[in-house]
Amino acid sequence: MQTLFFETLAIGLGTYVIRFGSLSLGRRFIWPAWLQEWLSFVTPAVLGAFIGLALLMSGRHIEAPAHNPSLWAGIATAIVAWISRSLFWTVCGGVILFMITSRFI
Amino acid sequence: MKLTTPHNSGVARALRDALPIVVAYFPIAVTFGVLATSQGISRWVTCLISIVVYAGSAQFMMVSLVTAAASTTPLSFVLTILLVNLRHALYGTTLGPSTMHWSERHRLAAAFGLTDEVFAVTSSRDPNDPFAPSSHIAFTFICYLSWVAGTVCGASIGHIVPASVANVLSFALPSLFMALLFLGTITPAYLISAASGGAIAVVFTVFGFGSLAIIVAAVGGASVGFLFRKWARLAKARN
Repeated sequence: MQTLFFETLAIGLGTYVIRFGSLSLGRRFIWPAWLQEWLSFVTPAVLGAFIGLALLMSGRHIEAPAHNPSLWAGIATAIVAWISRSLFWTVCGGVILFMITSRFI
Repeated sequence: MKLTTPHNSGVARALRDALPIVVAYFPIAVTFGVLATSQGISRWVTCLISIVVYAGSAQFMMVSLVTAAASTTPLSFVLTILLVNLRHALYGTTLGPSTMHWSERHRLAAAFGLTDEVFAVTSSRDPNDPFAPSSHIAFTFICYLSWVAGTVCGASIGHIVPASVANVLSFALPSLFMALLFLGTITPAYLISAASGGAIAVVFTVFGFGSLAIIVAAVGGASVGFLFRKWARLAKARN
């Protein structure tokens, strides 16, 4: 547990350095227009990566759709997100939908 | 008497922006607290992780790495999580120009709360409606408090929450990311970027790249979306 304590401090410090360093750097330089446009795609790419891993993977293996409640709940949650455009309703809906699909799949 | 002073409107705006994140963060943080303590991490270290690291997906990854501790050295443990958090550098460089006139003290405080969700909400703000540093810091601090409070609750009840409930609650995380994905302006290039990011992350994970898959997916997915938009503009210009 002592090792995890020091690992946590190191990760916390490193994460803060990354956050502050980039914020400070971003202020000092005017980034070229193409780079700013490229950066605007980082968010959807990262979100897509997390969603893809959460819905399709089980460890290092792709889960078969027939045995994957996360995938079906995820598709239904995406529809809720698309229609509601609300963080609250999407998260609530997602958890309820996952509870339902987990019962049947 | 006018009730809405600039200070009040700043706090009101912070609360308005933070509320959806608070509602989403709290149960996820409870889930984190429950999962971490159920995996054998002590209650106070679980809380310390949320207080010091404050990065949801990285924290969940820390829990899964702790369970696989036999194959993870302290150095690779730290580097793996920092690699995942490296995407925050892209958030900082994106938001940096908006903080051009902020004091160093404000920037030091704001940097700590630069999470995925805070970035998504901040970057989706109207560029013609700039945010004051105090309002932004209040917004990030409210989100941070809800995360820490949720973790404390989760760590406190971790031993009594059934595993089945903890499992269902864990789906709040992908739900949150889906909500954030559809909250912004949706264009074909934006969706292609997300789909590419997802596909790259899956393929690289299958081939054992571990946490590096997220970094590759971030760069690859953003590049595909960027190139698609360039191509679409060229195609439109030709027609």
